[in-house]
Amino acid sequence: MIIQDIKELEEKSIYIIREATNNFKNVAALWSMGKDSTSMLMLARKAFLGKVPFPVIHIDNGIDFPETYKFRDELAKKWNLDLIVAKSEIKPEMSGFACCGANKTVALKKLMKERGFDALIVSIRRDEHGIRAKERYVSPRTKEFKWNYKNQPAEVWGNYLSELGKGGHVRVHPLLDWNEIDIWNYTKREKIPMNPLYFSRNGHRYRSLGCTHCTVPIKSNAKSIDDIIKELEITQVEERAGREQDKEKSYVMEKLRALGYM
Amino acid sequence: MIIRRVTLLGHKDHGKSTLIGNLSILTGSVTEARINDAKKTSEKLGLKFEPGFILDSFYEEREEGMTIDTTRAQVKYGEDAFEFIDVPGHEELTKNMISGASYADAALLMVSTKEDEGIKTQTKRHLFIAKMLGIERVVVAINKMDLAQYKKEKFNEIKDELSEYLTNIGFNEKNIAFVPISAYTGEGLTKNSANMPWYKDGSLIEMLVKFSGKKKAPSDELVVLLQGELGSDKKILTGKVLSGSLYVSSKVKILPSNEELSIKQIVVRGKNVKKAVKDENIALSIESEVSGKIRGSVLLDKDSNKKISREIQTTIFFLRNMNGRVSILINGSRINCKSIQINKVIDIKTGKEVRGSNIKPLGAAKALIKLENKIFMERFDSVPELGRFAIYDNDKFSGIGIVEVVK
Repeated sequence: MIIQDIKELEEKSIYIIREATNNFKNVAALWSMGKDSTSMLMLARKAFLGKVPFPVIHIDNGIDFPETYKFRDELAKKWNLDLIVAKSEIKPEMSGFACCGANKTVALKKLMKERGFDALIVSIRRDEHGIRAKERYVSPRTKEFKWNYKNQPAEVWGNYLSELGKGGHVRVHPLLDWNEIDIWNYTKREKIPMNPLYFSRNGHRYRSLGCTHCTVPIKSNAKSIDDIIKELEITQVEERAGREQDKEKSYVMEKLRALGYM
Repeated sequence: MIIRRVTLLGHKDHGKSTLIGNLSILTGSVTEARINDAKKTSEKLGLKFEPGFILDSFYEEREEGMTIDTTRAQVKYGEDAFEFIDVPGHEELTKNMISGASYADAALLMVSTKEDEGIKTQTKRHLFIAKMLGIERVVVAINKMDLAQYKKEKFNEIKDELSEYLTNIGFNEKNIAFVPISAYTGEGLTKNSANMPWYKDGSLIEMLVKFSGKKKAPSDELVVLLQGELGSDKKILTGKVLSGSLYVSSKVKILPSNEELSIKQIVVRGKNVKKAVKDENIALSIESEVSGKIRGSVLLDKDSNKKISREIQTTIFFLRNMNGRVSILINGSRINCKSIQINKVIDIKTGKEVRGSNIKPLGAAKALIKLENKIFMERFDSVPELGRFAIYDNDKFSGIGIVEVVK
């Protein structure tokens, strides 16, 4: 895994986050309490003199890990976040595509409509998945949340203007250039608080965090950030190997994303 | 690690995605999991293993064997790291090609030796666009040498024709290299092939190390592009240093409003600093509010004689005919055009300027653009960020341009 220049990555992300708040009237960010969206909040604090200037949304299906809820409440208080919890209802038999595709997206759609957000900051990275690698920094979604990936807008030289369709919104992706290992190097350098589930207990850790139904831990003895960085330098496993929704069948990520999933 | 950003160029089916897929595998830059995924997809489609599937991830891309949108792949080679930007070769997808290639600082052109492939207009168009985008160095991979029986003559034939074209459109001969390869068999990618003993220069990746890397800043005169105010506080501005350095003690003025500013504090990446340099994003606390609009304004040295203008001499590339309200987008600001007057048309096939006043879709021209309002622009070769723009027809992306003279 390639380690990039953090300073350069930080500068680009700060620029994009500021562009979002300048170009759009009503910006919000998704916060899953995972490593990426938490790092994004750190970048937003740097961009805006210590305070995240937009609301952060947790789409809560009620089945996240207890550690995740605890982490959320503690950091929201510490960083004085404007936290919105969007509840989605989950049935016991739901998992994978039905859960992430329909359930979570429905809750987000409802919230977006109520609050009138026109831009949503989403902390996806190119190296997570081949489909995410195809994204623009600023990417429009239709009113129905559809991603028209076969005809994405031009994005030349970092001119991040995006046409907003009627009733649609844009997704802003300030972390697109970051690699998984860069996030951990940044977490270490900035001492960003992290969900304890990322660190090994009884020979297992979560490398990518979702909800309790769909996420499985990987075998790992990485108990510290340094251990994680060492592990990532040599791994032959994909980051999202523990995420059920990615592998039900092929192209499920493409279908999920076309429907509005992150 | 410094990443060398290299865009792929070339006509569709000349092997761009296959090359990057195979380079990723040969350099150990991709996980086994992703290789297996590409293998499975190849089998499912009844194909031999297609390394291009490591990059082409859309269902439609794999089913139709064609890249639709740009993607990136990072490749590690010794102490060097590359980010290859794969782009679609198809003419109709030139918009996506431009989007991807605009982030590169060097180019890798693929040309197939196959009888019905060879040098196409789209091959040349990609090179022309790359030059406009500011790319100065090109490595040409002459691909599918295995299908040309590894013949030196075939390699030279393509090399000679392209050398001439590249110099016609303004590339320096010293900045061009030609390498014979087979993207599919992997020959010539990371080491020279025994089948081509007549080729003495380095392997493709070795040549790419020589022909890529960051360019030096062309100017050191202070220019800061302002993005806006920080929230509702009109005494804190945000922006990015595009050239030169800004100090707390700097005497600066803001254009277009032409007011002098006193700086109280500069914040970079969350910390107070005395000095901000090129490419850093700043938050700037100032003594008193500025009267004009901040977004799109610039900060310059107080004594700078740079001016705002509404007329620019440009080279433009059009994707399509335009019939609506035409505007340019420069660093997030849209400015309406009063007129675009074509002075000369550029023939993409030869790279030469010819007389004429009409350009066809996917064509280029020298043009004088008059804007509705005065704005601050720079020559592309001086401060690139302020000398390049996207062209819009109503809300439709329709082309790109670079500034050669600010009138």
